[in-house]
Amino acid sequence: MNHSRETSGLKRKKPEPDVNRFLTDQDRAVLSAIKKKEDTGMFKGDIKIETKLIDRDLNKALKNLESHNLIKVVVNIKNKTKKHYVAVEFKPSKEISGGVWYKDGNLDTEHIQKLKYLCSIVTKKAATLDAIHDLLKKRAEPDLKKEQVSEILTSMVLSNELIEVKSTGYGEFHSIPIGTLCYKVASAAGIDKGPKVGAMASIPCGACPRISKCTPDGLISPSTCVYFTKWLDISF
Amino acid sequence: MVVNHLFSLSITVSLNAIPMLPSLFVIQSVVVTRLSLLSSSIRAFVMVPQQGIKLAVYLVASYFGDLNAKVCDCLLRRGTLTLANIIMFTDLSGVNVKNCLLVLIHHNCVQAFAVQEDGAMGKLPKVTTKYMALFDNIIHHMRFPKFIEIVSNELGKECEEIFEGLLQHGRLSLNQILDRIKQTANQGNSAEDSVQDNFHKLVQARFVERCPAPEPFLAPPAEEKSSTKRSSKTFKVLETIEQLALAAAAPLESMRFLVDDTWTNPSEEKDEETSHGVTIGQKRKLDSIESDDVSLLADGKKEILWRVNFEEFVRCLRHKACVENIRRRMNVEAGIVLEAILELSRKSEAKVKTVNTVPLSVNAIYDQVIKKEAGLGMNLESTRAALGQLGCEDAMLGTDDSFSIDLKTIIEIAQNEEVESIVLKRYGREAYRMFRLLSRAEHLIETDKIADTTFVEKKDTLKLLYRLWTDNYLQMQKVNVPGAKQSEFLLWKVNKQPLWENVLDEMYHAALNLRLRIAHEQEQEKEILQIPKERLIGELGNRYKRLVKVRIILESSLMNLDGAILLFHEF
Repeated sequence: MNHSRETSGLKRKKPEPDVNRFLTDQDRAVLSAIKKKEDTGMFKGDIKIETKLIDRDLNKALKNLESHNLIKVVVNIKNKTKKHYVAVEFKPSKEISGGVWYKDGNLDTEHIQKLKYLCSIVTKKAATLDAIHDLLKKRAEPDLKKEQVSEILTSMVLSNELIEVKSTGYGEFHSIPIGTLCYKVASAAGIDKGPKVGAMASIPCGACPRISKCTPDGLISPSTCVYFTKWLDISF
Repeated sequence: MVVNHLFSLSITVSLNAIPMLPSLFVIQSVVVTRLSLLSSSIRAFVMVPQQGIKLAVYLVASYFGDLNAKVCDCLLRRGTLTLANIIMFTDLSGVNVKNCLLVLIHHNCVQAFAVQEDGAMGKLPKVTTKYMALFDNIIHHMRFPKFIEIVSNELGKECEEIFEGLLQHGRLSLNQILDRIKQTANQGNSAEDSVQDNFHKLVQARFVERCPAPEPFLAPPAEEKSSTKRSSKTFKVLETIEQLALAAAAPLESMRFLVDDTWTNPSEEKDEETSHGVTIGQKRKLDSIESDDVSLLADGKKEILWRVNFEEFVRCLRHKACVENIRRRMNVEAGIVLEAILELSRKSEAKVKTVNTVPLSVNAIYDQVIKKEAGLGMNLESTRAALGQLGCEDAMLGTDDSFSIDLKTIIEIAQNEEVESIVLKRYGREAYRMFRLLSRAEHLIETDKIADTTFVEKKDTLKLLYRLWTDNYLQMQKVNVPGAKQSEFLLWKVNKQPLWENVLDEMYHAALNLRLRIAHEQEQEKEILQIPKERLIGELGNRYKRLVKVRIILESSLMNLDGAILLFHEF
C-alpha cells in the first residue's frame, strides 16, 4: 500500500516543450542575434539593424521570445532608458549590470554602506585584510569575497575614513607579523575623522570658481567679494 | 617642458589600466589636455609665478613705497637688468632708481653682480653691473612674525630685540646693533656685553649670517673648441647666471657664521674682491652703484655687516611642518621621535630641501627623545615602534643600525593633502575620492575602473572627471580600440608638476587677496581707528571689535596660507 502511495505520489515527468515549434523564422533570427552577443546582450535598435526587421515584426518577435522565457530585459547602467536584451542562459556582463555593487542598474549604496559600517567597527583596532574578511563572513555575509572586502577598504581609505598602517609588532600589533599592511579607523588612530582642511581650502579663495577673474580693481575683487563678506560675517 | 612631458606620457600608456581589451588590437591614442591647448602661454606661466610677482610687488609697495615697487616689478617681470635698462623701462629718474636699488639691496630684495660682455664693433669687452630681484627674499618679508616667534621661543626676548632690528633695517653691523639697543632700551655700557653675547647666540644658532658680497664678478665661461659644445654651454650659463651670481656672492661657509673676525682691513677686502675674479687694470663698471656688505668707519676700517639668514628659518619651518604632519597623520609618539631626530640632524643639513635625515643610532635618538618633556614617558621599545611607523622597518626588527627618515615623502604627502583638500571643497566628496585614487596611483586609469574603485555611479564619474579635467586638475587620454566591444576608452591621470605650479600660483593670488582685504577693512574703518579707545562705546565700540576680529581672522588665515606656500615653494 505504501508502495502504491509512493508510486501514486510520483508524477510522470512532462516532456520539455519544444519551443522551436512556437517560434517563427523572425523570432529565431532575433534570438540568434541576441545569443551571439552572449553576456553583453543587445539594445533593441542594434537588433533591428542586425535582423533588418521592421518595428512591428521586431516587437512581436521580442514579445514572443520573452513570453517563452528565452530572452530577458536587463538594465544597462550606461543607458537605463533603452531596453537591453540578453539570452536567459547568460548572466549580464559587468559592463551591462555594473558588477556586484550594482542592483537593478543602480549602485547598491545600502549594501555598500552596511559593509562600510561593519568595516569601521572591526577596524577600531588595527586589523589585516584577512582578519576583516573572516569577521565579516562570520558576522554578516558568509558569501562575501575577499576582493569585495578589499574594494570596500580601499574606498574607505580613499575617503580618509580608514588609514593604512604597517604592523610594528608592538602594542596593538603584537599578534600581527611586522610589516604586514593593516587597516585602522582614522578616528581610533587619534586622527580627526575625515580629511584635513587645508589652508587654501579654509578661505573663500580656495573654493572660488572665479578666482582667475579676480583682480584688485576688477569687477570681481577681494574688496567687494561677497564670499569674503559672508565668510567674515559668519566667523563672528 | 610641460608639452614634452605630456607627449612622453602618450607613449607610455599603461595597458593594465584598460580592462577587457582584446589581445590583438591597435591603439590610436590621443593625448587631450587643457594645458597642451594653451602651449606657449602656459609654458610662460609655468616658469614665472605671475600671481607671485603681483604679491611680491604689493609687499614691496607696502614696506618700501611705490617707487621701489616699480623697480621691483620691472626686475621681476623682465628679469636681470642693467641700471640703464631699469631707468628706461620704469621711466624713473636715474637718482630715483639708484636710491630704490640701494634700499632694495639693503633689504636683501635685490642682488647686484658684474659680468663681462663682448664689446660692440671690435671694441674691448666691458664689465657690466646687473641687478636681479630676489623673489624668495621679498616673499619672506610677510613671514617675519613667524621668524620672530622662532627666535623668541628658542633664544628668548633679548635675542628677539636684536633680531627685530635686523629685520627692520635689513643689514646692520655689530656696532649699529649695539647703538640701536642702547637707544631703544636706554641702557649703559654694562649691557653691551650681554648684547654681544646674545648676538653670538643668534649667529651660533645660524639665525644671522654675514651679508653676501655686494657685486660679485662672474668670469666669462672658458671658450669651447667645438661649436656644438659652445652652444650647449652658453645655454647652460644663460639658464643659471642668477644662480651663479648668488653662489659667487655668498660668503664662504667657514666665514658665514664667524663673529670673531669682525674687524677687517680695507686691503684684505681688496684681496677678497680680486679673488672674486676682477683682475687688476680691468675697466671699472660704468653703471654700478655703491653698495654695501661692509660699513666704512671714520678711521678707514671696515665693519662686517650682518643680516637674517632666511635659509635657517625655512629649515626650521620645514621641520615643524614635517613634525606636525606626522603628529596628525600618525600619532604623538612618532611626532616626538621625528622632532628629536630633526633636532639632532639640523646642523648637519647642507641644504633646506634635504631628502633624508642623517643616519642616527636608535640610542642617540632615544637619548634626545627623553630630553624632551613630552618624551619622558617613552621607552626604547616605543621609540623603535615610532621609528617603524616613520618608515624605518629595521627598527621593528630590533637591529641597531643607523636610522634615517625620508623627509621628501612626508613633504609630498603634505602637498597631496593640501591639493586634495581644495578638490574636496570645490568638487565634493566623490571627486575627492577619485582625485586621491589618481594621485596615489601616479598612472593612467580608465573611467570605469575609477568608478568601481571609488563607488561612484558611472555616469556621475565621467561628469566629475570632466570637470576636474577642464579645471586642469587632471590629464585625459583617449584610446581608440577598433573592433572591440567598446571602441573608445578615456584614461585619466594627475600630472602633478604643472598642477602643483598652478595651485601655488593660486595660493599667491589668495595671499594677495587676503592682504588686500585687510587693507580694505582698515580703510573702511579708518575713522574709528583715529578715535581714542576710551571713546569707542556703543555702535562705535562694536565696529571696532568687529575690525579687530576680522583682522585676526584674515591675518591668521594669511599665516596658515603662507605655510602652504612654503610647502609648495620652499620645502
